[in-house]
Amino acid sequence: QESITVNIGSSHPEQNIWVYAMKNTFQPTVDKILAEKGEYQVEWAEAYGGTLYKYTDTREAVQDGIVDVGMVGTVWEGSTMPLQNVTYFTPFATADHKMLIEIFDELNASQPDLVKSWDSSNMVPLSSLITDSYDVYATFPVNEMKDLQNRRLNAPGTSANWLQGTGATPVDGALTTYYTNIQTGVTEGTLSFASGILPTRVYEVAPELTRVGIGSMYFGSIAANKDFFDGLPEPVQEAFREAGKATSKAHGDYVSKLAEKAMTDMQAAGLKVHDLPDDQKAAWVKGLPDIVQPWLDQTGDAGKAVLSSYFAALRERGATPLRNWDEGR
Amino acid sequence: MSEPNIMEPQQAEGEIIPAFAEAPVGFVLGTVTAVLSSVGTLWIGFLMALIVADVIGRNFFNAPITGVAEVAGHSVVAIVFLQTAAAIMQGRLTRADFLFRRIADRSPRSGAALESLFCLVGTLVFGLVAYASWDKMVAAFMRSEFFGVQGVFTVPTWPFRAIIVGGSIIAALAALYRAIHRNPLPTGQVE
Amino acid sequence: MTSLEIGFLLIGLLVGLVLFGMHIAYALLGVAFLGIWLIRGNIDLSLRMLELTAYSGISDYLFATIPLFVLMGLLVSVSNVGRDTFEVAEVLLKRVLCGLGVATVAANTVFAAVTGVSIASAAVFTRVAVPEMTRHGYKASFSAGTVAGSSVLGMLIPPSLLLIIYGVLAEVSIGGMFIAGIVPGVMLALGFVVMLMALAALAPGFVFSDPEAARSRRMDANAGPHLTPGEILLKLVPIILLIILVLGGLYTGFFTPTEAGGVGAFGALLIAIGRRSLDRRKLWQVMKQTGTVSVSILLLLIAASFYSRMLSIAGLPNAIQSLVVDSGFGHWGFVLLYVALVFLMGMILDSTSILLIVVPIAAPIAQGLGFDLFHFGIITVLAVEIGLLTPPFGISVFTVHNTLNDPGTSVEAIFLATMPFILVMLIVLGIVIVAPQTATLFLG
Ligand code: NA
Ligand code: NA
Repeated sequence: QESITVNIGSSHPEQNIWVYAMKNTFQPTVDKILAEKGEYQVEWAEAYGGTLYKYTDTREAVQDGIVDVGMVGTVWEGSTMPLQNVTYFTPFATADHKMLIEIFDELNASQPDLVKSWDSSNMVPLSSLITDSYDVYATFPVNEMKDLQNRRLNAPGTSANWLQGTGATPVDGALTTYYTNIQTGVTEGTLSFASGILPTRVYEVAPELTRVGIGSMYFGSIAANKDFFDGLPEPVQEAFREAGKATSKAHGDYVSKLAEKAMTDMQAAGLKVHDLPDDQKAAWVKGLPDIVQPWLDQTGDAGKAVLSSYFAALRERGATPLRNWDEGR
Repeated sequence: MSEPNIMEPQQAEGEIIPAFAEAPVGFVLGTVTAVLSSVGTLWIGFLMALIVADVIGRNFFNAPITGVAEVAGHSVVAIVFLQTAAAIMQGRLTRADFLFRRIADRSPRSGAALESLFCLVGTLVFGLVAYASWDKMVAAFMRSEFFGVQGVFTVPTWPFRAIIVGGSIIAALAALYRAIHRNPLPTGQVE
Repeated sequence: MTSLEIGFLLIGLLVGLVLFGMHIAYALLGVAFLGIWLIRGNIDLSLRMLELTAYSGISDYLFATIPLFVLMGLLVSVSNVGRDTFEVAEVLLKRVLCGLGVATVAANTVFAAVTGVSIASAAVFTRVAVPEMTRHGYKASFSAGTVAGSSVLGMLIPPSLLLIIYGVLAEVSIGGMFIAGIVPGVMLALGFVVMLMALAALAPGFVFSDPEAARSRRMDANAGPHLTPGEILLKLVPIILLIILVLGGLYTGFFTPTEAGGVGAFGALLIAIGRRSLDRRKLWQVMKQTGTVSVSILLLLIAASFYSRMLSIAGLPNAIQSLVVDSGFGHWGFVLLYVALVFLMGMILDSTSILLIVVPIAAPIAQGLGFDLFHFGIITVLAVEIGLLTPPFGISVFTVHNTLNDPGTSVEAIFLATMPFILVMLIVLGIVIVAPQTATLFLG
């Protein structure tokens, strides 16, 4: 029996939704598959929780082989891997996060531009990571769009785009700063998702949830360093691929479970849930400027191709995006 | 104490740049490091202004400045690598010198050798930082890498990476200079 | 040799180099580079990690607060706000045993409410308090030690950089951490006062170079500065304004804890300009000095972060975690071991690096053992702060020594003079460990 050392790590701790399945599904599944054959065995050298690198370096860490397998947040790679961020520039597409996992497991393996992007970044994507749907957690309910006028909401990075045309002001931040920001009045709420809000207890200071359904977002992938992966014996590569699939499934289930538990727990803790009326939601969607255009300007033909494949995959699975961002491109 | 001593900055001795005729290398290095560190100093003022403007804009005009967190974060990189060389030139890097001073007092020669050795390690590590950062700087420039969000705000990253490379090279040279010109030793005594 | 053994050997190498006087940043960077190379058998990886740490390891909004808090501290110093605070304390505490020492602690406590880094307090009060104390018969080393010792208050009484960093690492509310720091901070200040008075009474040789001069000054009603209540009030206006600006702004949601440094620096700038204590030349001097002080801290942060990543590659954090879990330590065993470990690390590492290394490992364990994370945070920060004063690497002591720039006062003498302060900190730490209410009292 041959032993292979695999350095695996992440910028976030093991309990994090994007890391959870790495430790709890990916590693044991690889072990199990290999144990059945008895030919190879993996020694895991774990570096979870950002002890090796920060969240801004998830791509470089895997690309440069600082870890052999890692969680790669393409959401933070708007400059170097922009194609993967198509979902953030096309909000209100789908709130079904399991569908999104399925779509990106497929696109990452078959859409030529995405395949090329991973390949040229020296990475092999194994399993897709997502967020559950984004909604508004705030100190006030949103019954109509004018309730958002002149409100300050935490909306970091690309999500700032989603507030364009709503009259609300996006304020930078991260899951870890929302609580203090809202408690002290720096902001009056945030655009976020249930599974992220629960562990940070933001609902204590922002007790009004308005379900808007901005949608689930593709966040990144668990990926292997390509040089490392290519050097693995065939059966181990196969085990990694199989474990990747199992991880996708486990990740989807875990997010569902967590989102569900979040809703129960948060409501028990006093969170009030509102639904934005459909006509108001339509007004939000309609009021958004053409936010996908700057992204298309950056990504060119490859961007067009990814956008079209993504929307085709959505419709194929029965989703009806509230805005056809791909139309007339 | 009638006058706060800030008028007599503690690094005064270290800051004096020798005349070109006396020590051409010291003059050039001293001037370059002083200029770089002045830019870094101005940058700190800019950082303060940026944060205050954001706070005021957000609270009074509903107009926060986008990207302050990222810009401030990257500013730290610039501030550090613009000023490191000057800190080395002035012998201001933190160290525990209690044992070293005993050695230097007993045997100035061993003290001097040890000091040169330490400074050479400094040359080596900053040389390594520059070497390690070079490729990424070139790549960032060629691929127009940026931080921020397309369509919201973007700032190119290569200038920051260039500051790391440039600052580290000058820092390595400054450490080399200190390996040769060892005074003032940490205690201030001249060899 | 296993990577764990290499890891421990490299810690030894680091301690050796630092003890022999190598620049700490060089030692951390060099040893870590060597370590990654040895453990992973790949020099390329060392280079890549080095690059990563130099760039993104330090590009963080949190770290931007360091130069700003330093700038605020120096501006407050140049505008004489620190001196005025000290003078008021001096007048009010003239009759008290060890009055100038107590005044230093009192002024530091008030000053702590506007500054977020201890070295700012250390730099300011070295200039203000040490000359005044030595002039009145206190030992120079004792005076310097008092300033270094009481400077730790800056990090416990909000706003505080260490509380911010802990809050981020442990994912607890930073505003909450600030509230949790208040009672322990006040306890610490009171403890220092009691200790100083006891020392002056029981071991005057430790305190005074000229006990008689100090005694006669205390008894002489005409000695020292005189201030009418009106003058006292006038002298306190700027610091009160700053406290209102910084703490008021924080708790009314005007700005975030990370922004407090910038706003505070700006407020201090306005005060300095308003008091006409700042011309263009002086402003430039202050700015330059801000740069010099901050760059040495920030460089240490980069180096320490590279070093802690090397330890992580060596598998040290995981090994320690399983050690703690397997050993079956309970609540008390764990916290004692933890405090001892932080204390030891405090001898050779800077505060931020220690937090970066221990909090991600220890906080989940502590929570599992039933600790409140705010309570645990105060325990952590107190234990880490002791490291500001312990040799061989005690940054508060170095700051005082550097700022004083007096060949007659050696680093060792200042370290020795801070020992009673460390003792008080250990006692307060013990009380906080046993009584979680000290930290959680005002939390909702
Ligand atoms: Na403070
Ligand atoms: Na120490």
